[in-house]
Parts: sequence; C-alpha cells; structure tokens
Amino acid sequence: MTIPAVAFHEVSASRGGRGVLHGVSLAIGARETVALVGRSGSGKTTLLRLVNRLLEPDAGKVVVDDRDVREWDPIALRRRTGYVIQDAGLFPHMIVAANIATIPSLLGWDHARIRARVDELLALVGLEPGEFRERWPDELSGGQRQRVSLARALAVDPPLLLMDEPFGALDPITKSELHTEFKRVQAAMHRAVILVTHDIGEAMQLADRVAVLHEGRIIACAPGAELQQSSDPRVASLVGR
Amino acid sequence: MSGLLAFVAANRAEMLVRLGEHVVLVVLSTAIAAAVGIPLGILAARRASLAKPIVGLANLAQTIPSLALFGFLIPLPFIGGIGTRTALVALTLYAVLPILRGTITGIHGVPAAVVECAVAMGLTPRQVLRRVEWPLALPSIVSGLRIAVVIGVGTATIASAIGAGGLGDYIFRGLAMVDGTVILAGALPAALLAMAADGVLALAGRVADARRRTATATVSLIAIAVIAVAATVWAARAAERSDIIIGSKNFTEQVILGELLAQTIERETKLSVERRLNLGGTAIAHQALLSGGIDAYVEYSGTSLTAIFNQPAATDADLVFNQVRERYAAIGITALPRLGFNNTFSILVRRADAERLGLKTISDLNRVKEWRAGFGYEFLERPDGFKGLAAAYGLQFANQPRVMDLNLIYRAVASQEIDVTAGDATSGLIEALDLVALDDDRRYFPVYDAVPVARAAVLLQHPGVVAALRHLEGAISADEMQRMNYAVDGEKRTPAEVVRAFLDTIESFYGQPR
Repeated sequence: MTIPAVAFHEVSASRGGRGVLHGVSLAIGARETVALVGRSGSGKTTLLRLVNRLLEPDAGKVVVDDRDVREWDPIALRRRTGYVIQDAGLFPHMIVAANIATIPSLLGWDHARIRARVDELLALVGLEPGEFRERWPDELSGGQRQRVSLARALAVDPPLLLMDEPFGALDPITKSELHTEFKRVQAAMHRAVILVTHDIGEAMQLADRVAVLHEGRIIACAPGAELQQSSDPRVASLVGR
Repeated sequence: MSGLLAFVAANRAEMLVRLGEHVVLVVLSTAIAAAVGIPLGILAARRASLAKPIVGLANLAQTIPSLALFGFLIPLPFIGGIGTRTALVALTLYAVLPILRGTITGIHGVPAAVVECAVAMGLTPRQVLRRVEWPLALPSIVSGLRIAVVIGVGTATIASAIGAGGLGDYIFRGLAMVDGTVILAGALPAALLAMAADGVLALAGRVADARRRTATATVSLIAIAVIAVAATVWAARAAERSDIIIGSKNFTEQVILGELLAQTIERETKLSVERRLNLGGTAIAHQALLSGGIDAYVEYSGTSLTAIFNQPAATDADLVFNQVRERYAAIGITALPRLGFNNTFSILVRRADAERLGLKTISDLNRVKEWRAGFGYEFLERPDGFKGLAAAYGLQFANQPRVMDLNLIYRAVASQEIDVTAGDATSGLIEALDLVALDDDRRYFPVYDAVPVARAAVLLQHPGVVAALRHLEGAISADEMQRMNYAVDGEKRTPAEVVRAFLDTIESFYGQPR
C-alpha cells in the first residue's frame, strides 16, 4: 500500500478539560477525499485541527506524509496544507489578489509569477480574474468569498487540503454550484482532502469515503453507497433512512 | 477679543516658544507612552492573566490628580525634580491608559476566523502580528493615540506649575493677575492645538488604512510630519539651558520679582537668562533651587524659616534673616541682601464692610460672628497661618474656612463669596478690588522680608550675578512693591514692562544701559 497522506493512530484529544476524541484511527490516501460527518460535538473539527497542529493530541499520534506531526516544523507543515473554513477567514484589509498571494509573497515569488498564479487560481475557482482581482472581501457574496478562500488555500499547490464546513453557510443553489466546482478542481488535481461537514448528502456526493464520528469515536468508515446499507441505527439515523 | 489679539501681537515670540514647549511635551510623552503602551497592550491582549494587572495599573495612574502626581514625583531621584523631565514622566503615565486600551480593543477586535486562517496558512506568530493583527487593530490604536494626545494637551498646561513651561504659563499667569485675556492666551491656543493634533491623527489613521488612503492625504500627512519635526527640533533648541535660570512662585508679586532678578542680571552682565516663573508653591520653588531646575528666586525670610526649615515663626527681622542665611548656607544656597520690604500677611475685608462696621484691627473681627472666611492652601497649613491666627485672636467664623487658590481669594472677597481672607500686604489687588487690610494689633504675623536666594555654585561661577543683585539691596519699599503689583493687577501692564520702568529709576543703573 502507498504511504497515506494523513494517518491517525489511536488519537485521543480533549478541549477545555473535556475528552472529545477517544482512540480514533483513520488513514487518508494521497489522492483520496474523506468526509468526516457527525453531530455537533462529535469531534469532527477537533480531528481536523490535529492535522495542521492547531491542536495537539493527548495520546496517540498523527502522521502526515510518514512523519509524526510533532516532528514537523509547524510552519512548514501548514504551508503544505491548505485550510478552508466556513467563515472563509479572508483578510479584510487586503484585496482578493493579495489574499490569494499571501503565502507566495512570503515565499518570495516574483511579481509576474504571483500575478499569473492569482489569475490561474481565480479562473480555477470560477471567478473572472479581471473582475475580481482588485475587489475587497466585503464586496463579495458568500459563495464568492468561499471560492477566494479555496483559491488562497490552493495557492502553493499543497498536497493536502483541510476543509471545515466550507459550504455550510451558503444557500442551496450556490452550494450546489460550489459542489460542482469542487469536483472539477479535485478531478483536475487530485490531492488528499479531509472535508468536515454535517450534511451527509454533501459528504456522499463529494467524498470517496465517509467517516461517521459519534461521541469521539469513528463508528463507520466506508464509501457513501456502502454506508447506506449500514445496520448501525446511529449511522442509519444520520443517513436519513 | 481685541485685547487678546493685542496680547498675541505683543507677545508672539514668547508665545511661539511656549507653544513649542507644549508641543514637545505632548509629542514626546505620547511617543514614549506609545512605545510602552502598544507592546504592553499586545501582551495583555495575548494573555488574559496579564491584562488585569496591566490595565489596573494604568487605570490607577489615570486616577491620580495631576497636581498630586507632580507632587509625588518632585522628590524622586532621576525622574523627579522640577522641569520638563518630571512633566514628561507624569504626562506619559496619563497617556499610557488610552493607548493601552486602544491596542487591547484593536487586537481583540480582529475576527477569530481571520487569525485562525493566518495561523493555519503557515504565517509565523510575528507575521500574524505584522500582516494581520497590526493592520486590523491600527484604527483602534490610532483612536487611543488621539485620546491620549487630547488629554495630553490639556494636562500639559498644568506642567507649568513645575516649571516645564508650555501654554499653561499663560493660564497660571492670567490666574495670578486675575486677567482673563492672559488666561485665554494660554487656553485658546491649547484648545486649537488639541483640535489640530486630533485632526492630524485622524489623517494618519486614514493613511494607515489601505482602503481609504489617497495620495493627497499621504502627501499632506508627510508634509505635516516634516513641519512638526522641524518645529519640535527648533523648539527643543530654543529650550537649551541658559547661563542662569530665574524662578518665581505663582502670584503676581513673585512674577514681578522674578522678572526683576532676570532683568537686573541682563542689564549688568552678558549672561543669557531664562525665566521659569509661576512655579506652583514654596516647596516646588525650593526643590527647584536644590535640584538646579532654577538658579535663583526671591523668597520671604519668614516663609523660609517656617515652611522650609520648620522653625517657629519670629518677629525680629534681622534675627530671622541671619538664621535663614545660615541654614541656607548649610545646603549650598546663598541668601543675598534683602530687597527692602516686608510682605507679611494681611487680613483683608471689603472697604464697604470696614467702613460700615468700623473695623480697623484684626481684633475688631470678633465683633462679627457670622463671617465666612476663605484662605489659600498654604495659609491653612502653615504653622504661622490660620490656626495660630485664630488662637492668637480667639477668632470664630460661621463655617470652616473655605480652601481656594491663592489667586482667587481677593476676587472671592470682592464678589462676596467670602467676607474675610488673608492676602499679601503688598498685593496690588487690595487697591484694585477696593479691599482694606486690618491692623495686626497683637503682632501675630512674623516678618517676611523679601530675600533673593541663589545656588552658591552658580554665584561662584558667575561672580557678576552677585554684583548685579547687590544693586537691589534695600531698593524696594513696601509702597513701591504694592505700586508695581497694582500696575500689573490693576492697570494690566506686563510684569516685564513694569520692572523695566522701575529699574530705569534706580540711580546705580544709570549709564549702564543693556
């Protein structure tokens, strides 16, 4: 078997003194999209944040690209790990182009290369560069902000992408547009993606496998079609059968 | 208003210097406060456990009344004494809180999602601060700075009381002379300065904000900054130490006597003389002399004996002077020959009351029980002040005496807010406000001969100063002093011009024009 992009080994973690994850093990392949689903408080977001060391586990280990994340320089680890959240988190004091160019300019890319990359990424996420390059974040719709946020996360072509409810706050039509866009992007580049969502339909549509978290444990992990056959009543209630 | 314009026209050179001093005080103190407050604010915003003690301390500093704070600072080594340094320390303490609060509010106001994304993208903590938190917190930090500057411009007027100069000189001088025009000459520029500084910082805030920045705004800000730096440098150079610094306390007679020493030295020697008039009281003037903040001022023998050297009051003029001269000598200060008049306290009432009730002596006051008394701070506290007076004459008043500023008590009697007070026997306001002095029939008040006192080291360095000041020995009678006081308080002439006219009449100066 090839080396997984991310592997959790018996990981336990707590937030504010309360145990949130209890002995979670999961491996995500280098070109695989895995969705984490579960109710609020099931530990999805905590699991995601262990990958880029926004949080540290109490026990067990998280391995990225065959190295324990504790051995990674956190800055180097994060720069090869794209991160998109529900809130988009765009820098309000920078125009769209500057937001996308944040890491490339920290890495010292020259202007021409940065400009070409920004335009390429805007086109990739379905935004006309000429129209959007100079816009301020508060001049964008919710869907446009998420597209820019995705473009920013992909700026230096990271092999791993973490997404936390990226489409959670969007209206159904925009959401469905972005689902199509995401599948197109993923088909073109094929990187490892961990997608946190509470929308099981979204998970089954976008992910190769869906991991169901319940009270800090993975109770099922399978392709969407298989999950629908599950006899576990907790999974069944989640997939709406 | 026309009086103000005339005053400004006549004093524009000095006003520019005072304005410069004021700007230097505010700019320097705000800059130091920003250098301290912004990093502290960032630290406090990061660690909730530090926020409480840091903000608490800054709050505490803010609650100390400014004059009290100056008082605390004067005896301290290094940061104390009188003059610009002490004023800077106090102003900086006041400026820290708004800047600190602005910084904490600004950093806390950065959306958590934005910071989370910055960290998750792989920005180092320093990059997160510089590229994300700092620019987003800047508007709030700038509003903290604006508050600090506006407070600073106001508070810096009080710095005049400890000899730091600034526009407060006019306010205190105006209070001493009971002259609204002079007060306005300090207060109006201070208000304009506060508004201008606020406007400049608003412009700076706009330039700092990438979205609202315009080329015109940036160019104007740079132009203003260049002018401000040039003006500050110019004012700082103007404030370089002169050969001799003459001080005075903050009432008219003292300002005249300070001017008298200064002009005498200027006429007789080639030394450059700086004036730090209007110091806020005996203790401050004495401390200033000890610390070298000033080199000479005129003290009163009785005041030295009781208030500085803590000795019982006495009524023999020569005995008091000799005693004081010896005690001064022991601490490196030379008491020069006396000027010739005795400015003892007088008990003052309205002339109309005195005539109606037939009051001539202080003992006569006992015939009227319902009178309201008011005194200056010093008179209430001094051993030769109110308590002794009340005991010596068995005086009783309707209420506890009111405490008020020395400069306001004459006016308070004239306007019937109080009925009796203690003023200077030589005050020009006695005549100007139609008051009369009651005779000290029990010889209670000790002698207060006017004595120039100077730092011995400076006199050794500049022997010409001693020679010059000897010309003033016995040169001023009590009547002459009262006339000069009236010329300033009643006729609204400037102390400088009154002193110039007086010195022109002294024979020993003939043939030696400046």
